[in-house]
Amino acid sequence: MSAFNLFQRLSQAPTKPKAAPAARQFDVADLYQGPIALGGDGEAQARPFDEKLRQAYFWIVNHAIISPHYDIEYNDGPSQTYAVGDSRRTLNLPSAQSYSSFILLPLLTFATRRKCLFVGGPGRGKTASALLMGVLAGSTVKEVKRAMQHGHPQMTVADLLGNPLPADLVNAQSMDDIRIAWRAWLGMRVKIVDEYNRIPTRTQSALLTVMGDNYAEVLNHIYECPEAAWYLTANDDQGGGTYQVIEALRDRVDVTVQALAFNPRFLSELLLRVEENVRPEELVPPEIIFTEAEVDQIGASIRQVAVPDAVRRRLEFFASQFELFETAGGQFEYMTKDTARLSGADRGAAQAADNGRDRLKDLGCQTLNGISVRTLMALLIYAKAMAYFRGTSEVALEDLRQVLPFVLHNKLQPDPDAPFFALPENAAYRSDRLGWLRRLFDLSNDEFNRLDLDRDDPVGVLSAEFDLGLDGVSERETLARLNRIEKLIGERTKGRKLYGPLYDDLLKLKYLHQRYTNYRSWLRSQ
Amino acid sequence: MISPAFASILASGRAQFNGRAAEARRRFPALDMAAFGAFLHDGVDPLVAAVDAAAPERAGSVTLAAYDMALELVGHGLAGPAAKNPFLNGVWRALAPQFAPLLATAAVDVLGLLSNAAIHLAGVAGARPAQWQRELAALAPQISAVADLRAVGQVLAWRAGVAHFRLGALAAADTLPPALALAAFGEPGAHWPHVHAQLLANPWRGNAEGREFGSFSGFGGAFGTPPQVRATAEGFVVCSGERHYLLVADACGAVLHGATAEEYAQASSDVPASVRLEGAAVQIGARRIELDLPAGEIAIAANAHTVAITSPYTHAIRLLPLV
Repeated sequence: MSAFNLFQRLSQAPTKPKAAPAARQFDVADLYQGPIALGGDGEAQARPFDEKLRQAYFWIVNHAIISPHYDIEYNDGPSQTYAVGDSRRTLNLPSAQSYSSFILLPLLTFATRRKCLFVGGPGRGKTASALLMGVLAGSTVKEVKRAMQHGHPQMTVADLLGNPLPADLVNAQSMDDIRIAWRAWLGMRVKIVDEYNRIPTRTQSALLTVMGDNYAEVLNHIYECPEAAWYLTANDDQGGGTYQVIEALRDRVDVTVQALAFNPRFLSELLLRVEENVRPEELVPPEIIFTEAEVDQIGASIRQVAVPDAVRRRLEFFASQFELFETAGGQFEYMTKDTARLSGADRGAAQAADNGRDRLKDLGCQTLNGISVRTLMALLIYAKAMAYFRGTSEVALEDLRQVLPFVLHNKLQPDPDAPFFALPENAAYRSDRLGWLRRLFDLSNDEFNRLDLDRDDPVGVLSAEFDLGLDGVSERETLARLNRIEKLIGERTKGRKLYGPLYDDLLKLKYLHQRYTNYRSWLRSQ
Repeated sequence: MISPAFASILASGRAQFNGRAAEARRRFPALDMAAFGAFLHDGVDPLVAAVDAAAPERAGSVTLAAYDMALELVGHGLAGPAAKNPFLNGVWRALAPQFAPLLATAAVDVLGLLSNAAIHLAGVAGARPAQWQRELAALAPQISAVADLRAVGQVLAWRAGVAHFRLGALAAADTLPPALALAAFGEPGAHWPHVHAQLLANPWRGNAEGREFGSFSGFGGAFGTPPQVRATAEGFVVCSGERHYLLVADACGAVLHGATAEEYAQASSDVPASVRLEGAAVQIGARRIELDLPAGEIAIAANAHTVAITSPYTHAIRLLPLV
């Protein structure tokens, strides 16, 4: 009989108990369920993969990474809160199962094969966390460590991707004759790039191709990489690295998590590791190792998680807030922050000309940019993954709210000159970007509620009507719909200031108008 | 004093046993080594002595398995002099040694099955663990395989009052040699297929009187207020105050499980035509049962095989066989 495994124990209880189903099935085998683990009797039950994912999460938080920061809070009823310190910051005791973002987001990245950036000071478990993800994918600790790319200022493209074989370089008559010794890490299912902001800019570009397009190229030879989860680490992602990270590379990162400080109250855990001479990454229980097929299946299941219309509308409304920059464009479609950025014009002067709106209320005034398509897709994937992880079949608004700050962390740039940050109660949001993004989403939802868009959304009604299709719609009906669109535009623009959501509504109405106009022309030609 | 066999094994592996105890202390900060020592003496020694008598060459490995398991059980507060329920101590002390030949071949499985079952039975309100231990000990000479022990333990658990195990226990009994199955049901001379069919058809076989379940929680019972009952296929959903339960009952016993208000709302309050209330008496077909309850506010609910009777004047539920 083996000795106790202090670090390899998995919870026998379901990690996310659900309400008992109406039809009960009592199992006489329960008689022998208890604290004593029986020898294998060939009756091992296949666990659903979401449960396996939760087992992996709880094993990591309980035995591997000491991260007692439950910053992803869920409540299923009233929660106890305390106002603490001079600043009266809220300490919340969540009433439902809550999670540590530093473990959960990387795990969701593993399940969805996306790209995760760890930021935080040295020695806080960034690399260890990435290493664990590699082990979860079935590699040994040694394999993961050897495949890990360590960013350094002299790193060349050949260091990163591979070398041409020296003999071929001398003897080859054409490029096709040169064989490439590809680096082993390109074939890994979990790719780790440590301190990616220390990689020279040219090598970053080669890395961008691998990250963005999933292939590597050396001397016209292509290496197709398998689908993989990516983990990058950076001690300082705000420019403190040796090289400036190229924006396109930064944009490929789907989610950013911060390694929080170690709580000395948990020193006993470290002491135990010292005394037992154990490294948790070497003791990952085999029950939580995922095969490639399992991760494929998890990915497929996550994509099947539904996003209800009500949640999608909230996200649409939120994303609408940020792109509008009224003074940047002469043409309606070009009144965006991206237009201003591309022109290189003085942003301050353009902002000064933009007056009359409530700059405190307009959430768009708080940011320097809008939300890209890639970011929105990442948001949806992570919200689905969060719902899947929690064992539900559709995304709740809270799922979206919890993942949103981590996805937008590197994407939505705050404007430090915005009046919002000048308010004393908002001063902390200058440095706490996650808190600011969560606050931003809450403010957007408050405005959504104030406008009663859940129940009164005429643009949504027109859009749903159009989505039913144009087959069989008469010319008379088409004209009626065109009139309704024009009338709605008239109502919405009468005496109103232009805010982001209104801007997007107007562009949507213009789109619908154009589609009906084209359809009417076609009808008349028949 | 512990037996010479056990003392000799402990002495020969002293460093290893001490190491395991030290490791367990880190894992279970509340592990009381004095309590562990007492359990070694009281619970582990008898079974090691029994194995040493039956198969001396296996005593060492059985001791190792029992020692680790004992550390875990005492660490959880489930065994030893300070255990919340002393039943497990008795199982190790008196029941496990009866299975010495089996312990010699599969110590982890046998001790694990017996320990987990003891903990489970001790936790089921209304179960009769002592009956389970007594009947299993009586059958021990006939049990020569771990699979048979598993099935007999399940059958006897049902017979000891764990009513919701009925169908599973009957299925388990079917895997046993007929003679052993009949012995487990206490009907050694009968014909097993016949007995099995009757048990399957009639949950109240052998108990025509039915049973009374529940009493006031202030006196250690289950219900804070007089319960109301609705029927479902597997039992009765009970509403008492703000709490809801599922009551599963048959000839062997009655067990209460948690339930929800939704389940109560969905349950049926219909009663078959053959059952009717007449003042303070219930008429079930041709049978008439006088109740010692004030007439007028008695309520009844029935499923395919049981009638449940409640009254605002009692915290108990009367359960009567329908067939």
